[in-house]
Amino acid sequence: MRAGIAAVVLAALLFMGFRPVGQLPAIGRLLDPANGVWATAKAADLPVTEQGSIPGLGRDVEVLFDDRGVPHIFAATEEDAYRALGYVMARDRLFQMELQTRAANGRLTEWIGSKALDADRRTRALGLEWGAERKIAAYDRSSPGFRAISAYADGVNAWIAGMRPRDLPMEYRLLGVKPGKWEPIYSVNFFAKMALTLAFNDATYNRLAGQAKVGRAAADALFPVNSPIQEPIQPNGQRAARYDLAALPPPGAPDSAAVVALAAHRSILAALGVPKPNVNGDALGSNNWAVAPKRTAAGYALLAGDPHLELTLPSIWYEMHIVVPGRLDVAGVGFPGVPGVIIGFNRNVAWTFTNTGSDVNDYYGEVVDDTLHPTRYKVDGAWRSLEQRVETYRDQAGSVIRTDTLYFTHRGPMTRQLGKWISMRWTALEPSDEQTNFLKLGYSRNANEWLDAMSGYIAPTQNGLVADRTGNIAIRSTGSYPIRPGDGRGDVIRDGSASASDWTGYLAPSRYPFAMNPAQGYLASANQQPVDPRINRSFIGSDWYSPWRAMRINSLLRADSAVTPDAMRRFQTDPGSARADAFVPQFLAAAAREDSAGRSDATLREAARLLSQWDRRYTKDNRRAVLFEMAMEQLAQRTWDELSPGEARTAGGEVVNLPESQVLLELMQTPSSPWWDDRRTPGVVETRDEIVTASLRAALVAARRIHGDPAGDGWLWSNVRHANIYHLAHIPALSALGVPVQGGPSTLSPSGGKGTEGPSWRMVVELGPDVRAWATYPGGQSGNPASPRYKDRLALWSTGRLAPVLFPKTPAELDRKRVISTLRLVPR
Amino acid sequence: MLKTVVKFLILTEAFTVVTFAGGWWGVPMVALIWGLSEGPRARPVLLASICAAAAWGSLLLLDAARGPLGEVAARFGGVMGMSPLALYAITLLLATLLSWSASVVGAEIRRAVLALRARSKSPVSEPAPAPNAPEVAVMDA
Repeated sequence: MRAGIAAVVLAALLFMGFRPVGQLPAIGRLLDPANGVWATAKAADLPVTEQGSIPGLGRDVEVLFDDRGVPHIFAATEEDAYRALGYVMARDRLFQMELQTRAANGRLTEWIGSKALDADRRTRALGLEWGAERKIAAYDRSSPGFRAISAYADGVNAWIAGMRPRDLPMEYRLLGVKPGKWEPIYSVNFFAKMALTLAFNDATYNRLAGQAKVGRAAADALFPVNSPIQEPIQPNGQRAARYDLAALPPPGAPDSAAVVALAAHRSILAALGVPKPNVNGDALGSNNWAVAPKRTAAGYALLAGDPHLELTLPSIWYEMHIVVPGRLDVAGVGFPGVPGVIIGFNRNVAWTFTNTGSDVNDYYGEVVDDTLHPTRYKVDGAWRSLEQRVETYRDQAGSVIRTDTLYFTHRGPMTRQLGKWISMRWTALEPSDEQTNFLKLGYSRNANEWLDAMSGYIAPTQNGLVADRTGNIAIRSTGSYPIRPGDGRGDVIRDGSASASDWTGYLAPSRYPFAMNPAQGYLASANQQPVDPRINRSFIGSDWYSPWRAMRINSLLRADSAVTPDAMRRFQTDPGSARADAFVPQFLAAAAREDSAGRSDATLREAARLLSQWDRRYTKDNRRAVLFEMAMEQLAQRTWDELSPGEARTAGGEVVNLPESQVLLELMQTPSSPWWDDRRTPGVVETRDEIVTASLRAALVAARRIHGDPAGDGWLWSNVRHANIYHLAHIPALSALGVPVQGGPSTLSPSGGKGTEGPSWRMVVELGPDVRAWATYPGGQSGNPASPRYKDRLALWSTGRLAPVLFPKTPAELDRKRVISTLRLVPR
Repeated sequence: MLKTVVKFLILTEAFTVVTFAGGWWGVPMVALIWGLSEGPRARPVLLASICAAAAWGSLLLLDAARGPLGEVAARFGGVMGMSPLALYAITLLLATLLSWSASVVGAEIRRAVLALRARSKSPVSEPAPAPNAPEVAVMDA
């Protein structure tokens, strides 16, 4: 009996020890105290000294890790430096690197099986892998970019080859997989993934969705090509924002043609796996600004970088310092999986980026020779061969679980939607070498050289800001802007059977939004429309973010003629809001008018009183911001009821992004516009003041219901909005959730509703005789959740503080007390 | 007593070394061999179970000396939806169960082999040796 039980137990334990059961990984390998997850404790801390070897290394490389976990890499050549960087990044972030790559090239099924099949199919259908292969095939093998990604791969693979059991990250153990060989194309894959995040414009969708419900004229006004509030990146000589406010055309009849186009477009987005249209405010936007020496306290140029991206653990960024004596001395952050600094500084120049958000993708309805299995497509009456590509998807065991045939026209990937074949052209899929562009930045000796290094850059389009030690500051919205035929707009599905529909070229760099050393003494960008249409009417996009953040930073910079690095830091988390400054008076004035007209009540008076107490700042201890935010939400829903889901059902059930709040402010100028009429109240025609005050009333009622008494802690902003920084695999235990932060929608440190996006790297650089920098990001350098460096920067980040960045010229210059680990890499 | 202590130390060391060198499956291997050599008695099986837990416990202590084991337990326990303490307990329980089950199976194999051998040596008409055969008792003596 006992023997029988023992045999069963043994068999079960051996089975579960070797093989995963359901969601449970193989427990033997996992719980083994010498080689399993417990052993990762040893790898959590960096060793005081260590030696490694890398094939192909020319000379020894010394890597000193400072007490912020930043590697200072001292190498004889750039290629040796990138080999070393690959090695140390893999040591710190291997799982992240491979996960991101698999997400970008559609190979997640090889890790988690058919659960990831849909995601992988969409990724490949989008052409990300196809585009990456085209790019790498077109690379000049001697280009700095290609040599860097090859050397970087050597370093990553050297780390993987030499890994001890304890070095295997926890996530691999949970998934029951081993790291694969790192290929140079993976760095290109990562850029493709970033392009999907930053350069896949949803203006077409917004416009079509609006048009389907309220007609073309109204949709044009709701999702305009030009912002009604002009505060452009390229200074236009004005000292304040210009309000180009016009009366909006009334809502028109639904456009049936747009309904069909919209349905097709929606299917394309779904089939291509494009994320849902942005419904999270502008938390995914970014800020940057630079101040000329004449407006700084010390007389040196200052630059602030503040890219807002998805917040994850580990962070999307990895901080580094690379020194190749006599050639390169650059510090800053780059992406795990990609060699080199993307945002940072050298001994002469500092730079950073914000996303331009231009419209760089278009769709074409194609005519094909066979509805189900096409081999050719027609252009100008002649057949052209389709490029076909068979995609194979494998599971963890390597078995094929699915194959797809993908089709490509000369424009890009083609998919079948609602019986129609539609192809897509997107600049991010065009052959390009962004890697070389970014690497060249580190060699720049002044702002002009930096701008030259960015020439030829294609996607995603970026507002590149640079400041140098001689006092120059400059900004240029860089990247390829397609020139379309006809009206030049990119928000329609074009006829693919005519070559006349194709892009005719790209905007000349001389037409890019640009400014250098403006008289105002500062430059700033925050994803707003880059250039005033009165100055440059070239179409580069539409439906821009409202310029609230730009207005706020510009007002702060205008008000300070002796800016210090610490002021730059404070600005990054400034709690003020131009949006609140614009709308709070509107609410209060409407309440006062309704009161004067005898249409007020106790609830409205109380709501107005509470709102008037607000200092319009989104500090953690604020108790009134919540009322304003709820009122704004009510106002948008009540005003744009014509676009609401209820209305949408009549037009195909599509969800529509609501117009930007700058358009709402534009509408505020017309008290009796038909847009104010709430269609859900037949027989009653509402006015602006009735809708505005009804929104305020409803906000108070809802706020009391959800958050309790206005004097209570339920109304504390810190109890309402948080940053939620999820682990890459969305494992709560490895995440940092509910992190209190200062800021709200449209503040310089924006906090969107979900709290999953926001400031991903904050940096301030002073370009004095010796360059000084301060920085941090939410997370830590290590990807090991048990490491003290996993999220050691979080406290600094959440309180808006920065840490001084060490920038030694030589190993000897680095304070030994601040060196926590030394790694010597030798040729193998 | 001394013999038991020596056995404890040797067996614990064996579990530690095989786990370190080969992995978790070394535990049932050693326990199986132990069961084969010791036979189906309660005390050796208990000793094997204790030694396996002790071996893994000492490896955990070694891990703790080399890095933040508590953090690993907290994070990994969180992932698995259990407290860190439960995770430690499950780890030690795994070693114990692997060792117990393998040593029992080993001992039963030994008994079966001996029984088979005894049967092949005996005349056909004689009955097969009963469980707890005398030769095992002799070894105990």
